[in-house]
Amino acid sequence: MKKWLEVALGVVTGIGGFLEVGSIATSSQAGAEFGYRLAWVLLLGTASLAFLMEMTGRLAAVSHRSYVDLLREHFGIRFFLVPLVAVFLVSFLVLASEIGGVSVALQMATGVSLQWWAVLVAVAGWLLLWRGTFKVVEQGTAMLGLVAVAFAAGALKLHPQWGALGRALVPSSPAHDRARYWYLAVSILGASISPYLYLFYSAGAIEDHWTTEHLWTNRITAAFGNLFGGTLALAVLVVAALVFAPRRIRVDGYEQIALLLSTPLGRAGFVLFLATLFITCFGSTLEITLAIAYLLAQGFGWQWSENLKPGKDARFAVAYSVVLIAAVVPTAVGLQPLSLTNVSMVLSAASLPVTVLPLMVLMNDEDVMSTHANGWPSNLALAAIALLSLALFGAAIPLQILGGG
Amino acid sequence: MSAREIRLGDLTGRVVRDPDGRSVGRIEELCAEIAPREGGNDYEVVVFHVGAYGAFEALAGGRFAQHALKRAGKLVGYQRYEVPWDWLDFSDPEHPRLTRRRSELTSRTSS
Amino acid sequence: MGGLRLVHEVLDSQLVDRRKEKIGRVDALVLELRDGEPPCVAAILVGGAVRAERVGRWMVWLNRALRSLARARGDGVSRISFDAVRRIADTIEVDVDGESLPSGRLERWLAEKVVCRIPGARGEGKGHEQGQQQGEHVGDG
Repeated sequence: MKKWLEVALGVVTGIGGFLEVGSIATSSQAGAEFGYRLAWVLLLGTASLAFLMEMTGRLAAVSHRSYVDLLREHFGIRFFLVPLVAVFLVSFLVLASEIGGVSVALQMATGVSLQWWAVLVAVAGWLLLWRGTFKVVEQGTAMLGLVAVAFAAGALKLHPQWGALGRALVPSSPAHDRARYWYLAVSILGASISPYLYLFYSAGAIEDHWTTEHLWTNRITAAFGNLFGGTLALAVLVVAALVFAPRRIRVDGYEQIALLLSTPLGRAGFVLFLATLFITCFGSTLEITLAIAYLLAQGFGWQWSENLKPGKDARFAVAYSVVLIAAVVPTAVGLQPLSLTNVSMVLSAASLPVTVLPLMVLMNDEDVMSTHANGWPSNLALAAIALLSLALFGAAIPLQILGGG
Repeated sequence: MSAREIRLGDLTGRVVRDPDGRSVGRIEELCAEIAPREGGNDYEVVVFHVGAYGAFEALAGGRFAQHALKRAGKLVGYQRYEVPWDWLDFSDPEHPRLTRRRSELTSRTSS
Repeated sequence: MGGLRLVHEVLDSQLVDRRKEKIGRVDALVLELRDGEPPCVAAILVGGAVRAERVGRWMVWLNRALRSLARARGDGVSRISFDAVRRIADTIEVDVDGESLPSGRLERWLAEKVVCRIPGARGEGKGHEQGQQQGEHVGDG
């Protein structure tokens, strides 16, 4: 019974954790400009993330060390610096854009400038991390994140054309605006397959003391959490396709995205959108901050745990505090939240190889995985994801320049 | 009896040459075993794993490349030799020399 | 072949002290080369300066610059005799007191001067931990 509860909570975390500012921004832009056509990219991104999470979760449960621990231990300090720097920089940018997302939601709700809200958001987030436990962070925000189901409700109310949507799940190339199309495809993938997501998941498996008994919990959480989360992101795309595309509205800021739910759900829709933006971005703020602190602590061997009082893991606590405060700066000095999000998503996509390729080595190493190494299906999926990551690495920056608008 | 201290990192990756000066491979791993001593137990290095990476020798400097090339195995001409400690001469630690003929090495392909 | 593989199983592994607290990773291993006898594993080194040496000259320079900026005493490198190693598994347990190590100075300084000045920082664990598997210590994280 307790196991099922754990699994259910894990799945909920996946839902709540999946939709955040990156998914909302990229899916709504994609829906507004290309209708349903980019739906297949969401499917690809969601499936890839599910595989990556299952693997990094299994890695932690079997070896009792997180993915970051193993990146340092297996490959040495010299190699480790590469993912350390890449993930740190990219995650920091994504974190800054999440704080921007929360601040924008508060600005739209109250009229007070988002630059002030950014500082308050950091303080509130810091308090939660300082005093809260891992479960509070993981599950609290996940439960609240269920408000994102409003997008599914909104999508259904607009009566999408299911046939057209189904056809859009098959990869296609556009007739016009190719650079923009592929740019949006890359940013959707960057939002879906953000490295901090599976790194945090792996660290979480250690915080929750997972062992080989949790392998099925891991599989179900990774599969269904992402299935539901991906469905919500798809709902955002569908709503944008039905509300913006016919009116040829191009999304330039979060204020427009806020209108997405007003059409199907009226005034309540606007409020639900703000609540979704606020909660999902705030949850991600906490997760990414912790993910960056885990990256440093695990890589360098510091004492760490969100379940320890800060006095017991001082470097870890100072790390997440400093990171959170620093990440406020871009929003506080007035950088456009949506632009920040778009750039961070593309860089996120470009950084994928450094965390996907080592996984291919680790998941097949018997010293690490004992009898739970990858079978050929998992290896096939991982190889495909690795190829995708290399393609993204090559294409991301050129597309940002050509299609970044 | 002289004793010198050296870091593990100064030995790994070094190219091992045979008496004719030809490269045998790079030191990849050192295997130690417990040997009882008067003051307590010591870990003594008994075997060196020397990896030959064939055509991809240039890539073999870093651990990530080593792992990847090992997986590619026969494709890249990877071979691993287990060399007992007394077959290596470390009088110049930067240039370890094999004191026996290359043909005497037991070859073991990677698992 | 039941040997201990130094690169694979020891180097870069997590070190854990007497009180099961994490005290860093094995940043370097010191070997003693002896004439006519097998090399012996002498000590474990922990510290940013040692890590920097493995990376390259630029990193060593950066490390020194940061240390002088922070006016840190000494080189912050701990040398732990390999005799102190008690267990080598997922982590390496050493019979030392983490509080006494030079490489732990930053942690102690931050804990005393910064963290513990902020309310809510002191104490053992936050909240309740349920369902411990295999008696895992909360501090192991």
